[in-house]
Amino acid sequence: MPIAPRPPRRPAASLGAAALALAFLASGCFGGPAPDDSGRLRVGLAFPPVAGMSPYSDDAALLGRMGAVDALTALDAEGLPAPRLAESWEQADDTTWRLELRDDVVFHDGTALTAEHAAAALNHAAAAAPVPRALAGVELTAAAAGEHTLEVTTAEPDPILPQRLSSPELVVLSPAAYAEDPASPDPVGTGTGPFELTGLGGDSTATLAAFGEHWAGAPAATGVDVRFIPDAAARAGALRAGEVDVIDSVAVAQLPNITEQEIVEVPLPRLVGLLLNTSDGPFADPGTRAAAAAAVDAAAIVAGIYEGRADTAEGVYGPASPWAAERPEPSPRPEPAEPGGTAITLATYSDRPELPEAASVVAEDLRAAGFEVEVIVREFGALETDMLAGAFDAVIGARSYLLDTGDPIGYLAADWSCEGSYNLARFCDEDVDQAISEAAALTEPAERNAAALEIEARILASAAVVPLANERTRLGVAPGVEGVAEDPYERALITAETRRP
Amino acid sequence: MSAALPGPLLLGARLLRGPAVLAGSCAALVLAVAALPWLSGEDPAHTVLRARSAEREPDPAALAAVRAELDLPADPVAGTLGWLGGALRGDLGASWVTGAPVAPTVLGATGVSAGLAACAALVALATAVAVLAPALWRAARTGRAGGDGAAATGALLGSVPDFLLAAVLLAVVAVRWGLAPTSGWSGPANVPLPALALGLPAGGLLSRVLAGALDAAAAEGWVRTWRAAAFGRWTLAVALLRRALAVALPQVLLLFIGLLGGAVTVETVFAVPGLGDTALSAVLAQDLPLVQGCVTALVAMGLAVGGAGVIAHRLLMGPALVPGALAPAVPRGRRRHDLAPALVAAVLLAAVAAGLLRDPAATSLADRLAAPSLAHPLGTDAVGRDLLARFGHGALLSVGTGVAVSAVALVVGLLVGLAAARARAGAGDVLNAVPPVLMGVLVASVTGPGPLGAAAAVALVAWIPLAVHARTLAAEVRAAGFFQAAVAGGAGRGRLLRRHLLPSVLPGVARHALVRVPHNTLALAGLSFLGLGAGHDSPEWGAMLAEVIGYVERAPWTVAVPAAGLGLLGVVAGLVRTDRV
Repeated sequence: MPIAPRPPRRPAASLGAAALALAFLASGCFGGPAPDDSGRLRVGLAFPPVAGMSPYSDDAALLGRMGAVDALTALDAEGLPAPRLAESWEQADDTTWRLELRDDVVFHDGTALTAEHAAAALNHAAAAAPVPRALAGVELTAAAAGEHTLEVTTAEPDPILPQRLSSPELVVLSPAAYAEDPASPDPVGTGTGPFELTGLGGDSTATLAAFGEHWAGAPAATGVDVRFIPDAAARAGALRAGEVDVIDSVAVAQLPNITEQEIVEVPLPRLVGLLLNTSDGPFADPGTRAAAAAAVDAAAIVAGIYEGRADTAEGVYGPASPWAAERPEPSPRPEPAEPGGTAITLATYSDRPELPEAASVVAEDLRAAGFEVEVIVREFGALETDMLAGAFDAVIGARSYLLDTGDPIGYLAADWSCEGSYNLARFCDEDVDQAISEAAALTEPAERNAAALEIEARILASAAVVPLANERTRLGVAPGVEGVAEDPYERALITAETRRP
Repeated sequence: MSAALPGPLLLGARLLRGPAVLAGSCAALVLAVAALPWLSGEDPAHTVLRARSAEREPDPAALAAVRAELDLPADPVAGTLGWLGGALRGDLGASWVTGAPVAPTVLGATGVSAGLAACAALVALATAVAVLAPALWRAARTGRAGGDGAAATGALLGSVPDFLLAAVLLAVVAVRWGLAPTSGWSGPANVPLPALALGLPAGGLLSRVLAGALDAAAAEGWVRTWRAAAFGRWTLAVALLRRALAVALPQVLLLFIGLLGGAVTVETVFAVPGLGDTALSAVLAQDLPLVQGCVTALVAMGLAVGGAGVIAHRLLMGPALVPGALAPAVPRGRRRHDLAPALVAAVLLAAVAAGLLRDPAATSLADRLAAPSLAHPLGTDAVGRDLLARFGHGALLSVGTGVAVSAVALVVGLLVGLAAARARAGAGDVLNAVPPVLMGVLVASVTGPGPLGAAAAVALVAWIPLAVHARTLAAEVRAAGFFQAAVAGGAGRGRLLRRHLLPSVLPGVARHALVRVPHNTLALAGLSFLGLGAGHDSPEWGAMLAEVIGYVERAPWTVAVPAAGLGLLGVVAGLVRTDRV
């Protein structure tokens, strides 16, 4: 044993780790622009870009919501096409539509829009792999027929082409956007919207500047700073703390916390429904389906889980579609059978917080009616393959019924025809298939809507779906902020009219 | 004995072994990642399409187009070889989802995560030292450490879920008080809240490791000598702290690495563009090039920092880590009646018993989020279920799985930690760096989704801190006089292990394993969104907590009930004496 040990004199070693750690911070790992609030709008959005803002992905809707791009047409409240970059359109023959474009449109890079540009943009979209959802199953070619006259030809007659062209995936960008990689166009500085996308901070931020030469006049705000905030509480928190002026997708759970800001509700063409597997398992029997449908109290779910911030669904098509207000009297459902302890699996996904809660309530309703229910909740990506393969007896899902075209028939073909690519109920009825293909050939939007309601009635009568709620989207808006777009298609949010006090 | 080698030579030998371990473990993990689509049975064309376009119908034409673009390898081995070939040329490929090159994405996210994890590790260290300050002062004054106050505080902190802390910090500090930005990563002001959310619970766990080390250090002979030689209290306290930090520092580095890829929920809450979030979405989308890039970065950092932990231990121990230089006190038992844990356990049991008499499944939307009342003594959750009933019915499940995972981790950790005669970075550091979600997906593909798979995935990682703890403690015992005497006396391996290593190592490591029980319960709940872990509607405490976290401001009781359960469990576990094991 040493007699008089020296006290330690090397604090350096233990401080080494601390210094190392601080060095990481000093290395400048922060990104994003410094906020500048001189008339600039600050926006918090729920969904970050998934593909570097390529319009051939979900980012297309983001571009529209930030006011960076325009499509050739828009959709009005009735789902009918309205002028945007195209002023007017007519059907030249069965397979050709002719559109007259505005002559005063300038891209953000200074190029003036011609029909050549629009034709190139559409042809690029048609050549994208996979083709954008709005063009799925459509063979389309576009050509200029004059400086501002565009001709769009489809392989098969397409009565809803003008609606189709309103899809944000089919926006027109300047030729520079396609120069580097036509499969993933770059919208930075190449759009036509009231705001020019000037910078993208990974999937955290986006910066836009007002575009003074916009065809509808200079926008009210001087620019837009977008922050992508996926967490619902953090998004609401940013609004409450005054860090942002507008947020989207306010969660029901957050509503009572937002007291000093305005909540704007917009009905969405989106159905939350309980889909029953009609091909395998207990729900192949119509009587058992009817028993389940009778057991579920949808109004209680709207009032409880959605706290009245959704609409009780009478059918698939909800209040976002005014034409669905008058629907034919539904045929009676089959006679309910006695469940007698039938064991079923009920699946839903956790990405929307209301769905697992609704599943708990539906499961209790079904148990009370005599079913034995096992509830399965997974992240959407981990559930979808099994869901499409019919691995569950029942699924609670939320689904847009107007897809990208504002047309109600496309949804029926995908979700309710025998060969449908999203037929979660595994529903197959030859009469319904026949009705869907007949409806798809109708040219008048009013006729298509009426046909959609007829087919809806047949589906409801089969009890393959129990409508639970028609969703609304909720925007949070700071006091004094005006002109935020209330768009049921969720394609517009910040517009030329949006302004801060 | 290798420990007798001069420092630089030893270091050289270790560094030579390093690249081999790195290459081997990297190749193994890259192969596992390349096999992901085959293991999970999910078509990558489908998952990639889903990531790009959430509501696009996966019709055959779209899937074929994506598949052609992805250029999927024929089998995992071919995929691995192709990727390794590219990686050797410095080409990590491009993300399947975004088409952006992988290297800059991973590098950027690693920088962000490293900064956040470093700050969190510092917070953890500072928290642990602060919790232990009274015990340290007493040890410097009287030569005896211990103290149940610090143990309870540490255990309580250690059982607070980071996502709960994040939600509370966001609501109170950022929104109510406006002291920090709510989210984002645009400047130093964004750092404190996520760093606190991650660092405080970790600091609680760390304080238990430090407490054990401090107990042991205070009993060492030199403390008496120094006190007799009239060294100042400060001098002695600093020396004791340094002695304890030698054991704790490898844990801090382990924590740092674990946070690089595993801080997913806190990164999401505060919108921090870190590696955990990147890895999670890449694994779910089966974006293999990006997953492989993330895994490579994490494994490389895991091994580097794991090695740094070994070196830090050596540096802090200095010349003391040669045989005979250290004289840890021979372990001694203590006789005490433990009233505190019994009392806390009684409270817990009473609540559980009360809950067991009630119906945990009955929903009532009219009573949604009802505050505590006579009808519902602890209030109700978002579908109107009685929280007391759920608390009681979830107790056995929560405590059982947490304890089972901890027990497995303890056994494995001791076996691995004691078998490692020479400390070096190895398989543990690699596993520790693997993002939990990747571990969960890989394990689920083997076991199928279910609670057993989740427990296996958590146990696969849970033994690592215990093994590192056991390894650092064992290294000190091997350097102790009594151990050398036993070796010189011709004691066999078994006898050395039974009579000398285990009695000195087990109490500290067992206590560490105990305070990790609530932690394991939470890790299980963290995998439930994959369909692993406790089933939906299960009243398991971790799962309950994850379900209601959105209501923390509106209905704090919904969160408080399961959180209090985990906290009490943590306190009981933290106060159980392990010295007499």
